[in-house]
Formats: sequence, structure tokens, C-alpha cells
Amino acid sequence: MIGLVVLAIFISMIILAIFTIFNRDLPHSVILFMGFGLGSVVLFFLFSAPDVALTEAVIGTGASSVVLLVTLLQVRPKERKR
Amino acid sequence: MSLKQKISIQSILVSLVVSIMTIILLGVLLNFTTSFEPTLGNELLRINANNTKSANAVTSVVTYFRGFDTLGEVTILFLSIFGVGLGLKGFKDKLNIFSYENTLLKIGVDTLFPIIILFGIYVIIHGHLSPGGGFQGGVIIASGFLLMFLAKGDDLNINHKILELIESLSGAGFILIALLGLLVTDRFLGNFLPLGEVGKLFSGGVIPLIYIFVGIKVSAEITALLEYFIRIKDVR
Repeated sequence: MIGLVVLAIFISMIILAIFTIFNRDLPHSVILFMGFGLGSVVLFFLFSAPDVALTEAVIGTGASSVVLLVTLLQVRPKERKR
Repeated sequence: MSLKQKISIQSILVSLVVSIMTIILLGVLLNFTTSFEPTLGNELLRINANNTKSANAVTSVVTYFRGFDTLGEVTILFLSIFGVGLGLKGFKDKLNIFSYENTLLKIGVDTLFPIIILFGIYVIIHGHLSPGGGFQGGVIIASGFLLMFLAKGDDLNINHKILELIESLSGAGFILIALLGLLVTDRFLGNFLPLGEVGKLFSGGVIPLIYIFVGIKVSAEITALLEYFIRIKDVR
């Protein structure tokens, strides 16, 4: 049962990663990357590493995405597209 | 413009590498079995059960068995914040803190801020009993300050001198405890306090003390980093 959950999370993480790469709007990419980090948090927890899961939840999903989003806000709107 | 021109070779390569890594990981996962052979991890767990009396084995590895590595990590974090401050100090007067004119955020932060700080302190203090510890709790406290920045903007004045003082004092406390261990037990970061009982708050010797110092240092550093990074030219 846990294996099926892990497989589903893995496949959704691959889809999110591909969307993160191919998205043309960089702020959307950052939000999709946060979703990718959320999937890895669940995976770390299921593989009995709650310490790493807590670190990833706080740093990967919280702090780093805020820093990236504020940096993107300082860039001109034309340069936010790739 | 067709689809072929939009997708560059680089992105195709990156997605290929990611999918190959995922296939390898899947193969590892499907063959995953737990072995009970004598490994370094089992040996560490056995020593942990006898020597340190800390319920969370990861914490005792991070702060006791590999405490010197943690000192290096904290130094790396300090140097990175130092570099960011050196590079961004000139922009401090020209740029405003990025904030939202949002009533829900402004009222909600007053309620949420003490709860987030309390949760961060809980995670730091219970580092040797439950998952978490100094690094995680420190960043949780810094994220509470981040919410304050988003709500209050330039009204919230953070004094960088006080932050630097707190940071350097806690770093000095870490090294002081390590040197006391060297004096008493002839081992850098040795344990010179009574061990107590497994699962109690006052147990594990010096491990909770070291993690409290690491937590204070990390929270001050990440708060300073966010305060430097969250500035923007005009609020839109």
C-alpha cells in the first residue's frame, strides 16, 4: 500500500519537474518547484527520515522560494519570461 | 514558431537526466530490503543507546559524534551571511522592504507570530527527543520574522548590530562548551554534564545545550539574510 503511494508521489514529482523546466513564466516555475519540494517532503517522511523532511519543508518550500520570488519581482516584467 | 524551436537542447538533456535518475531510484526502491548486518549505522545506534541517552539518534550524531562537522557547517552559514551583507549593504537605504497592503495579512500576523515563535522554540528545545533541532527551529523562527516583514514593511526596524551580537555570542557559547568538554573529559565536545534518563527533557548531557546555541545562531543569521534579500525598489 505504501509502495503505491510512493510510486504515485514519484510520478507526480516527475510531472512537476518537467512542468518546472518547460514553463515559460519564471514565477510559475518557482511555484511548481515548491510543489516538487512538497512531494520530496512526503517521500523523506515515508522513508523514515523525519529530520530531513522537516528541513526540506522549512527551507526548500518556505525560505528559498520566498527569496527567489522577491528576486524575480525586482526583474523587469519582460525578462521574467524566457 | 513551431514546437521544435521552443524546446531547447538543454532542457531536453536535463529532463533526460532526471528521468534516468528516477528510473535508477525506482530500481533501488523495488529491490529495497532491510538488512541486519553489522554496519556503521547499527554500531552508532548501539553506542547511542548506551552512552548519550538521547532519544533521537540523528541529533546525537549531528551534535555529539560529528559535532566538529556541525561547527564547520555553522561557520559556512556565517560566512555566506557575511558575504551577502557585504554585497547588499549599499542598497539598504535606497530600497524599501517588500510588503503587501492586505488587511487579512496585517491582522493575521499579530495572532500567528507568537505561535510560530513558540513552535520554533519547541522544535529547538526538543531536538534530542523528537525530529527537528537547531537548524530547523531556527529557520521556523526566521519564517515568523519573514511574515512580520511582509505585513509591516518599513515600520519594523531590525537592528543589525543586536542581531550580530546575538549571533556571535551564541557561536562563542558553542565553542566554549566544546572547550569545557576538552578540559574535563579530554575530548573536543565531550560530555561533562549528568546524562539523566532517556526521554526526559533534561537528558543527553551537553546535546540540548549545543542545539540551543545552534538554534539561536541560525535564527539570527536567517533573519538577517531575509531582511537583506526582501528589499525592492517600489511596492507594486
